[in-house]
Amino acid sequence: MAKTLQERRAERQLMIVLLPSLLLLLAFVIYPAIYSVYLSFTNEALTGAAARAPRFVGSRNYARLFNDAKFWNALFVTFVFVLGSAIIGQFVLGLVSALALRRRLMFRTLFSSIILLPNAAPEVVAGFMWISMLAGGDHATLSRIVSFFGLPTADWLQVFPLTMIIVVNTWRGIATAMILLTAGLSTIPQEIYEAARMDGATPSQMFRRITVPLMMPTILLYMLISTVSTIAVFGLVYALTRGGPGGATELISIYIYNQSFTAYQLGYGAAVAVIALLVSLVLGVAYVRAAKVEI
Amino acid sequence: MSAAPPGESANRLRGDLMAYATLSLISIFCAIPFFWLLIASFDGNAQLFLRWPETWTFANYLRVFTKEDGAKWLFNSLFVVGSATVLVMVLSGLGGYALSRTRAWWKLPFLYSILLIRVLPSTALIVPLYKFLLTLNNAESALLRPIFGSATRDIMRWTGFIDGYLGLILVLATMQLPLSLWIMKTFFDGLPRDYEEAALMDGATMIQRIRRVLVPLALPGLAASGLFAFMSAWGDFLLPLILLSSPELQTLPLGLFRAFLRINEIDYGLLTALAFIYLVPAVVAFGFARRFLVQTFSGGVKG
Repeated sequence: MAKTLQERRAERQLMIVLLPSLLLLLAFVIYPAIYSVYLSFTNEALTGAAARAPRFVGSRNYARLFNDAKFWNALFVTFVFVLGSAIIGQFVLGLVSALALRRRLMFRTLFSSIILLPNAAPEVVAGFMWISMLAGGDHATLSRIVSFFGLPTADWLQVFPLTMIIVVNTWRGIATAMILLTAGLSTIPQEIYEAARMDGATPSQMFRRITVPLMMPTILLYMLISTVSTIAVFGLVYALTRGGPGGATELISIYIYNQSFTAYQLGYGAAVAVIALLVSLVLGVAYVRAAKVEI
Repeated sequence: MSAAPPGESANRLRGDLMAYATLSLISIFCAIPFFWLLIASFDGNAQLFLRWPETWTFANYLRVFTKEDGAKWLFNSLFVVGSATVLVMVLSGLGGYALSRTRAWWKLPFLYSILLIRVLPSTALIVPLYKFLLTLNNAESALLRPIFGSATRDIMRWTGFIDGYLGLILVLATMQLPLSLWIMKTFFDGLPRDYEEAALMDGATMIQRIRRVLVPLALPGLAASGLFAFMSAWGDFLLPLILLSSPELQTLPLGLFRAFLRINEIDYGLLTALAFIYLVPAVVAFGFARRFLVQTFSGGVKG
């Protein structure tokens, strides 16, 4: 009897020390998430008459969204951005780096440190560096490299905006893919490769028959987690292009920002945000289930 | 190994050479954008383009602290991010301990919730968050004005939710909490309960147990939790962009961004020096955090 009393007291104390974290998360994450669903059914605005007396407008925001070419453009841009940078660019370069770094090479630490560097750079700094890289005129670094190989130069961010932000985001995320895939590779026992080599398997056979199948769970997890985090990218692209030119790099996150804080349409911005929240949540649930996270 | 046929060692050599070639190319791709920042910050006449300086100088770095607002931005960033990091360490230490030790019904729902919170894009939360903070801010200012009168504005600069230090610190800290709570919970899971139970037997109170037993044991975990909170808050651009408008409160990312928008009067030497100063803590923290990186993908990869 005395023990259960003590246990109950201990449980209460644990609840109390967790309370501040719980309150902050409720106030600044959970409540806003729920509030955004509410906002998305109103004509709330940042200024003007609608800001003083917002009205409930039912599903009008969602109907408008459905017919809004700029919204579909944002979805499309986000899709291409995720596909190009997270699913293809970062994955391929990350996998190649992880495989190469498994060999006993000299300067391994140096190589992996350099590959990690872009990930450490704050978004705004990364944006600046790439503005310099990609600027128009013959003096920009990329133009110089390209003309060294005898190819024509361009004002890169104006002519190939979407391709360029894909390149930049690939640059930034190789490290994440490399780290996750290295961890996955290290779980494959070396004996399997030894045995295959005994049987006369070629390196490409071993890659296709051993590495790829055994890496599938890791690859799936990587795809989910990098998709979710790439949907959330904002500062890097905003610092580079602010969504332009003409919406060519207007990711869904930038579209939400522009609708809410440039056009002051909070209700409509919230409707777009709800879509982004739902997509991320679905992918997040898939991740938690696929990762079999141990709690 | 020594029994390997000659064909195999040739194969290995070729593989190694290919690995060197690929890694070199990828490394060049990763490193090249940094050259401009590094070199231009020491160039007396820096341009938007990468070029070899005619005169090398420290003047750009000196000007950060003498001219312009660079020093103020740096201070604001250090203060805001430092406070948020300390707050996260305290809260995640306590909360992670609770999450590890509790047997209550809310343990699993809470843990799943913080995993899912991590996937929510912050741009999608920023609109309602802004509205909510605006309401809080107006309420606070209505409360303070009758008491402090004209001094209210100066007080709100510290305690305001919009355009004030407090709001930015709290929100920045909250955004780092899910990962930090997770790190600390996992860390405490790996700590045996023997020490606490011994302390409990000796009649130590909760506070004593935390101070004498848990804090010393938890230091490595707290270091990891603080490191990740610092890195993520230090690099964050969206929150200061939304929450700050006064020039005096601007943090480094915001100040840099706005300075870079003044197309015709960009002082590249000063800005690259400032950006480099902003970059260094991030890289140092990242260097320390390297060995924890894998675990942060929530619960590790179990392939």
